[in-house]
Amino acid sequence: MTTSTSSQSLWQRVTAPLSSGPIAYGFLALYVLACSILLVTNPRTELSTDVVFVLFLLSMLVAYRSRVAAWFKVVLGVFALGVVLPYFGTLNPFYIDVATQAGIFTALALGLNVVVGFAGLLDLGYVAFFAVGAYAWGIFSTPQITEINPAWSPVDPVMFYPFLIIGLILGLITGVLLGLPVLRLRGDYLAIVTLGFGEVIRVVANNLDRPINITNGSQGIRAIERPPLIIVDQIRNLGIVADDNRLYQLFFYYLVLIIVLLTVIVVARLKHSRIGRAWEAIREDEVAAVAQGIPRVRMKLLAFAIGASFAGVMGVVFASKQLFINPPTFDLLRSINILAMVILGGMGSIPGAMLGAIIVTMLDLQILPRIAAVLREAQAAGAPIPRQFDPTQYQRLLFGLLLVVMMIFRPEGLWPDERRREEQHEVEITDEELEADKTAKQAGADSGS
Amino acid sequence: MALLEATNITKIFGGLVAVNDVTFTVEPGSIVSVIGPNGAGKTTFFNVLTGIYKPDKGRVVFAGKDITGWRSDQIAALGMRRTFQNIRLFGNMTVLENVLIGMHVHLHASIWSIIFRGRTMLREEAKARNKALELLSFVGIADKRDELAKNLPYGDQRRLEIARAMAGDPKIILLDEPTAGMNPHETAEATQLIRRLRDERGITVILIEHDMRLVMSISERISVLDYGSKIAEGDVQAIRTNPRVIEAYLGKGAAGHAA
Amino acid sequence: MAVDATVAPTTARRSLGEVLGVVFGPVGQLLAFIVGSAASLSLIVVVLALILSSAQPDIMQRVVIILPQVIIDGLVRGFLFATIALGYTMVYGVLEFINFAHGEIFMIGGVVGATVSFLLVSAGALESIPPLVFILLVVLVAMAFCGMLAVTVERVAYRPLRGAPRLVPLISAIGMSLILQDLARLVMTNTPLGFNARYQTPNFGQPIQLFTMQIGERSVPVILSPRDLIFIVAATIMLVVLNYVVNATKLGKAIRATAQDMPTASLMGIDVNRIIALTFLIGGALGGAAGALFGLRIGTVNPYMGLIPGLKAFTAAVLGGIGNITGAMVGGVVLGFLEAFVAAYLSIFTAGNFSGAAYADVAAFSILILLLIFRPSGLLGEATTQKV
Ligand SMILES: Nc1ncnc2c1ncn2[C@@H]1O[C@H](COP(=O)(O)OP(=O)(O)OP(=O)(O)O)[C@@H](O)[C@H]1O
Ligand SMILES: [Mg+2]
Repeated sequence: MTTSTSSQSLWQRVTAPLSSGPIAYGFLALYVLACSILLVTNPRTELSTDVVFVLFLLSMLVAYRSRVAAWFKVVLGVFALGVVLPYFGTLNPFYIDVATQAGIFTALALGLNVVVGFAGLLDLGYVAFFAVGAYAWGIFSTPQITEINPAWSPVDPVMFYPFLIIGLILGLITGVLLGLPVLRLRGDYLAIVTLGFGEVIRVVANNLDRPINITNGSQGIRAIERPPLIIVDQIRNLGIVADDNRLYQLFFYYLVLIIVLLTVIVVARLKHSRIGRAWEAIREDEVAAVAQGIPRVRMKLLAFAIGASFAGVMGVVFASKQLFINPPTFDLLRSINILAMVILGGMGSIPGAMLGAIIVTMLDLQILPRIAAVLREAQAAGAPIPRQFDPTQYQRLLFGLLLVVMMIFRPEGLWPDERRREEQHEVEITDEELEADKTAKQAGADSGS
Repeated sequence: MALLEATNITKIFGGLVAVNDVTFTVEPGSIVSVIGPNGAGKTTFFNVLTGIYKPDKGRVVFAGKDITGWRSDQIAALGMRRTFQNIRLFGNMTVLENVLIGMHVHLHASIWSIIFRGRTMLREEAKARNKALELLSFVGIADKRDELAKNLPYGDQRRLEIARAMAGDPKIILLDEPTAGMNPHETAEATQLIRRLRDERGITVILIEHDMRLVMSISERISVLDYGSKIAEGDVQAIRTNPRVIEAYLGKGAAGHAA
Repeated sequence: MAVDATVAPTTARRSLGEVLGVVFGPVGQLLAFIVGSAASLSLIVVVLALILSSAQPDIMQRVVIILPQVIIDGLVRGFLFATIALGYTMVYGVLEFINFAHGEIFMIGGVVGATVSFLLVSAGALESIPPLVFILLVVLVAMAFCGMLAVTVERVAYRPLRGAPRLVPLISAIGMSLILQDLARLVMTNTPLGFNARYQTPNFGQPIQLFTMQIGERSVPVILSPRDLIFIVAATIMLVVLNYVVNATKLGKAIRATAQDMPTASLMGIDVNRIIALTFLIGGALGGAAGALFGLRIGTVNPYMGLIPGLKAFTAAVLGGIGNITGAMVGGVVLGFLEAFVAAYLSIFTAGNFSGAAYADVAAFSILILLLIFRPSGLLGEATTQKV
C-alpha cells in the first residue's frame, strides 16, 4: 500500500498539469488526434493497432476525468466516438465489433457497479437479468413464440425499440422479485443466493422446452430479428453501397454508444444524489445508516432493480445483435466476467467500471487470441509449449488471478472512486454542486423579490 | 404528556437478562441521564428504544405512537436519533456528506428528478447543503466539512455524530457516552454543546454517561441501571444520596462512607 | 459464533464413556435425521402416489419399485454433501468466511484419485491390487494432497486479507475457485488424463443383493452396488473420526475456542494462525477424500465437477446451521435425500413433463433461498443477535 501512495503522488505530479488548465485542452486534442490518425492510417488487425485502439478508447476516460469545459469534452467525444471510430470501423470491421462488445459490457459493468460498488451487494447472478432481456426479445421476435401458443405470431421487428423499454421493465421486475426476499440477507449469503439464482435461471432456460416449449431448451433461439434500419434507403439513394451486415454493425455501434452515454449520465446523477449517498452509507455501516432513517431493504432493492434493468435493456440489444442465444451464453462465467470488470476498475467508480469493461473485453477478444497465435507459432517452431494450451480457453484462470491479485494488492481498483483517492486533497466542487447553489440562490432571490 | 414512555422493557440474550423490566419516562424538553456500572444494560436499553433490538417484553411509546417492534429507520424518521458508544460515522465519506445522510428522511427528490436534474431536486440539495453547514457550525467543525470523517480527531468525530443526529430534526437525541475518552477541556465543551442542544434547539436529550460530574451538572432526572434492572430514579440530589446507587457503584458497605 | 453447543467440561481427562458420548452423540443425531428424512419423504411420495392413483393406476407400483434405490441414492448424496459441507462449516466457524474454493478442493480430490488410478493402470498393477488397499491408497493420497492445497490456498489468498471488509476475502475465494478449475484443466488436458479423466478401479465384485421386494406378481431385487457401499462406509468412518477429533481432543478444543472468540483464544495462548491452518487442513482433507471417493463411484472426473456439489454442500452447511459441525452432517443428509427424491420422482409425478435430474439442482437452490430467508440459523443453529 505504501508503494502505491508514493507512485500515486508521482503519477499525480505528472498528470496534474495535463488534467487542468489550458495545457489540458492542447494535450487532450493532441492525444485524440494522434490516436485517430494512427488508427485510420493503419487499420490492419495487428498488435500495434490494438495498442493504439486501447489508447484511443482510454483518451475518452482521460477526457472525462480532466478539468476542461464540458463543451470541449462533448466535442472530443463526438469526434472520437461518433466520427473517427465508425469511420475506422468501415476500414476494419473487426474493431467496431470489439467497440460494440466493449460498449455492451460497459453498460453491464456500470449496472453491476450500482449493485456491487454503490450499494455493496455482491451479485454473482447478474447475468440472469441479461438473460431475461435477451430471451424476451429472442422469443417474441422469432417463430419461437408460436411454440408457446400457435395463435400468436412474432412481433414486427420494429417493435425492437419499444422492447428496449420492455427489457428494462422485465429486468426491473425480475430484480425486485429476486431482491425482495433475499436482500435482507447478510452480504456473503447474498452472494451465494444470487449465484444460485443465476444457475437456476440457466437451468430453467435449458429445460423449459417441455412441457411447453418456451425457451427451446439447449438448442437456443436462432435467427433473432434485427430492427429495420430506418435510414437505409436514404443511404442507398446516396449511392453508398453497403451490405446489410456492415450497416447493422454501425447501427449497433451507435445504439450501444447512446445507451452507454445515457447509462453513464443516469448512474453519475444517482451517485451524487440522496440515493447514492444512502447506498454508500449502507455499504459503509448498515446499522448506522438505518439509524439515520435510511430504509435499508428499500434502498438495496432500488440498487438491485436499477442494476437489473440496465442488464434487461442490454439483453434485448445483445440478442438482436448476436442473432442467436442459448443457455451457456448466460453462465456463471459471464457474471464473473462482468464482476471482474467492476473490480478491476474499482468498485463504486464510474470511470473505473468503464475502464474495467474496456480492458477485460480487449483481453477477451484481442489480447488473448493474439497471445494464442504467438504461442502457436512458437510451438510450430518447436518451442516446448504444451500442445493443449490455448490462452483464449483459460479465461477462468485469467479472471481468477485478476480477482485474487486485485483483492490482495489493490482492492480499490485501477481507477478508484475519486473522493477516496484524493483523501487528503481539497475536494473539488462539481459542476452539479455549483449549479445547484446557483439555482438555490436564484430561487431565493425570486421568492424574495 | 411524556415524549417517550418505555414500560416494562425486558431484553434477554440467550440466558442473560440484559435489560430487566425497566420503565422509563422522558418529558419533552428535558435532559435525563441513564447511568450504571459497565455491563448494566444501558446501551442495550438504547438499542431497544431505537429499534435495533426488539424487546422481549414491554412497550415503547414515542411522540404519541406505539413504536414497539418498529424498524430502526422508521423510528429514526419519527424523530428519535442517537449517537453510538463506539462512534459509527461513515468514515470514507466527507464530514458534510455525513450530515447530509442524517437528513435523508427530509429529502424527497424522486428518482426522476434526480435523473433529469429537476429544479426541485437541485433546490432541495442546495438547501440541504446550507442546513448541513449551519449544523456543522453549530457543533463547531464547519471548517472541516470536506475532510473524510475518519480523518477527524476523536473529539470532532463525536461532534460530527451529534451534528448528524441533529440533521434529522429530531424531537429527541440519545447520546451514548458522548464524552468517553475526552480530556477535561473537551468534556467541558461537550457539556456545553449538549446544553445548547436543548436550550437553543429545543431537543430533548437522553444521556448515557460515566462522567459523574457531567451527569450531575446537566441532568434534570437520572435513572440508574444495575444488572439490567432500574434500581433508582430521581433528581440529582436524590440519586447522589441513594444508598443503593452508591452500593452499586462502590460495592457493599460503601454506602455509609460516601456522599 | 458458536461452533458447537457442547462446550467441553474443563476436566483434563475424561472417562471413556464421556468420550464415546461426545463422539457418538452427534452420530446418533445424524442417524435420527437419516431415518427421519428417509421415512418422511417416502411417506410423502406414497401419499402423493395414492392421490394420483385414480388417474394413473400403475403409479403406486412405479413409485414403490424404485423407493429403496432412491433411499440408497439419497444416502450416498447425503454423505457426499456432508463430507464437503464440513469443510465449509469449519472454516466459517473460525473465520466467518465462505471458502468459495472448497468445491474445487473436492474436485481436485477426484482428480488426484484418478491420477493414482491412472498410474496404477500404467504400471499394470491395478488388477492385482486388493480393492481395500486401492481405496485406502487413493483416499489417503487425495487427503494429503488436498489438505496441503487448502492450507496453501489459505496462506496465499486469504490470510493477507484477514480483517479486510467481508466481501474482500470472499471475492478472493471466488477468484481462487476459478484458478483451481483452470489449473486442473491445464494439467489434465496436457497429460494423458484428459478433460474427462477415466477413473479406473479394480473389480469390486458383484452388486450386493440386499433383499427382494414382492410387488404384485413381480419380485424386485434391491441392490447395493459395492461403490455405493464403499462411499457410505468410508464417509461414516470419516465423520466419526472427525467428531472424535473435534469433540474429544485438545486440538478440537482449541479449534472450538478459536471459533467462539478469536481474540480471547489468542490471549489464552492458542496460536490462532496454526489453528486456522489446521482447520483448512482438516476441511481440505475431508473434501479431497470425498472427491476421491465420489470420482471412484461415478468412474470419471472433470475439472468443473466441483462447483455444483460445492454449492449444494454449502446449502447443506447452512441447512444444518453454519458453523455447527453436527449440523453440517445433518444438513448434508437431509439435502441429499431431498435431492434424490426430487430427481427420482419429479418426472413420475409430472407425467414426464419436468425432468427430475435437471430440476434437482433447482430444488436444492430453492431450498437454500427459502432457508436463508425463513431460517438463516438452520436446523440446529441458534439465532444470534449481532452486537451493536
Ligand atoms: N447482542 C448481544 N448478544 C449477547 N449479549 C449482549 C449483546 N449486547 C449486549 N450484550 C450483553 O448485555 C449486557 C449489557 O450490555 P450493555 O452494552 O448494554 O451494557 P452497558 O451498560 O452499555 O455497559 P458499558 O457501560 O460498558 O457500555 C452485557 O453483559 C453484554 O455483554
Ligand atoms: Mg454501553
